[in-house]
Amino acid sequence: MALSEDRLRSILAWVVIVLIGGPVLGAVLLGVLHGDSPCILCWAERVGMVLIALTGLFVVRYGPRPRYLGMAVLLGVWGVYMSLRHSGLHAARDVGQGFSAPILGVHTYVWALVIYVIALTVIGVLLLFVKQIGPAEGAREPGRAGRFAMGLFVVVVAANALQAFASTGPPPWFGQGDPVRLSWNPTHWVWSFEELDPPYVSLRGSWTIPRPDPSVADPDPAHGPLAGLPVLAVSGWERLGAPLAGALSGFARDSATGRCLVTTDRFGVVLLDSATSRVLHQVVLDPGFSVDVSTLAGAAFLGGDTLAVVADNKSWALLRPDLRADERAEWRHFLSWDGRVSEVGLGRFQTVRAHQMYVRSLAFDPAAQQLVTVSVPNPRHHQLVVSRFARGDMVVSSEFEPRAGAGLTLAPGRSLADYLVTGATVAGGRLYAISAAYSTLLEIDLQDQTVRGAWAVPGLVHPVGVAARGPQLLIAQSDGGIAVLPKPAP
Amino acid sequence: MEFLNFLIIGWAAWLLWRRPERERLAFLLLVVACLLMALGFFIGSHGSLVPGVNL
Repeated sequence: MALSEDRLRSILAWVVIVLIGGPVLGAVLLGVLHGDSPCILCWAERVGMVLIALTGLFVVRYGPRPRYLGMAVLLGVWGVYMSLRHSGLHAARDVGQGFSAPILGVHTYVWALVIYVIALTVIGVLLLFVKQIGPAEGAREPGRAGRFAMGLFVVVVAANALQAFASTGPPPWFGQGDPVRLSWNPTHWVWSFEELDPPYVSLRGSWTIPRPDPSVADPDPAHGPLAGLPVLAVSGWERLGAPLAGALSGFARDSATGRCLVTTDRFGVVLLDSATSRVLHQVVLDPGFSVDVSTLAGAAFLGGDTLAVVADNKSWALLRPDLRADERAEWRHFLSWDGRVSEVGLGRFQTVRAHQMYVRSLAFDPAAQQLVTVSVPNPRHHQLVVSRFARGDMVVSSEFEPRAGAGLTLAPGRSLADYLVTGATVAGGRLYAISAAYSTLLEIDLQDQTVRGAWAVPGLVHPVGVAARGPQLLIAQSDGGIAVLPKPAP
Repeated sequence: MEFLNFLIIGWAAWLLWRRPERERLAFLLLVVACLLMALGFFIGSHGSLVPGVNL
């Protein structure tokens, strides 16, 4: 079944009528009858539909010239992109949340996607059946449907122009991300440039978050945000005796057995004896598949034999020494395996306050049965957030930004978020966090959410973990050195 | 800018309807309207090609 040019023009006239008289006119009526105002992205999507209809009118008037068809396809593809991009802003919100009122349970930006897909489909189907496109002719007088389509088009465009004037204003003003409801009362009109504030341009927007690099942090405590800190001198140095493949990236010590758990920057997880000289178990995690594990950044003992490690993207893995580990079951979890470790869990911490922030530490609070991470600041989010996750389901239980306690004075214009915490442990109900930036040890009260104490620890180079050993604190560095300090009295 | 864009689109439609011999100008207006629409979307999305998602 082939489609003659005359037939194509007639069908296209009706397509324009449906497109303009359906979603485009419907959007205007939503504004007039219900006060609905499009946001700046909605405006672009609506204009895109109008332009597809206008391209259809070109075909109705002049025949199916290649540049009209090319323009229609480009507009359709661009419309699909716009509506996907727009829906992506809201699609992952919590249940029942979206932007503006839904129609039949679906928000307008998702309807835009449906309409653009239908438009592209119609274009494809028509091209599939159209006869050979002949040489370009001059303009032809449209039929009755074509004339009606043109008239309707002009009327609907005029109505849109009227709504756009009230809602967005004349140039140079343009649409808003958060418009107010449509009103014909000029005193209610909001014409603004709010979308240019702040005037940044970034291909990934707010998700351009650089990974933290503690190795470039300023280690000088004198440059830190807390002024006049007492010095906590290193009383001795120890060293990991067991050879590791890669640099140390996380460190924990089991207070019950004295065993140490370390992670490396090559996805290695190594359980060491209390002298840190003998490897008890070691694996190399497979960082791909299922859960994306980035650079390992922290380790913790969860009681019993359960070992926890966290990556800087807040993915976590739970492991357990297991003499009866099944090779067939475990092969998929590890790139390298000593045959006596099982993976008992793999997942991702979901945070709210620490959203879009990496972490470089992991601790376990045995009293609360919670895992604890501390966010590291980035250019978009300058915050220090302590996040706590229930051991039972690994879901966030609480988050807070600690404040400086009594006796601690922040320098003007500085904040606790200037610190870059690369290691943490819980001892005696307090969270001890070591910052690679300004080589400072923070003691955070988990109950009243304040920094109770802070000490300068000069001499540290790229610390990656902290652990308690009786009256001492051990601060491990990426090179395997371990600084021994007296644990400050609470 | 949206108001301006609808004026441009209306102008192009009027040319199609009443001055069909001005096809080149009408098509030029169509292209300008497309660019203005893309600019609006670019401003509205702050130049971010993707929403808040991982790539």
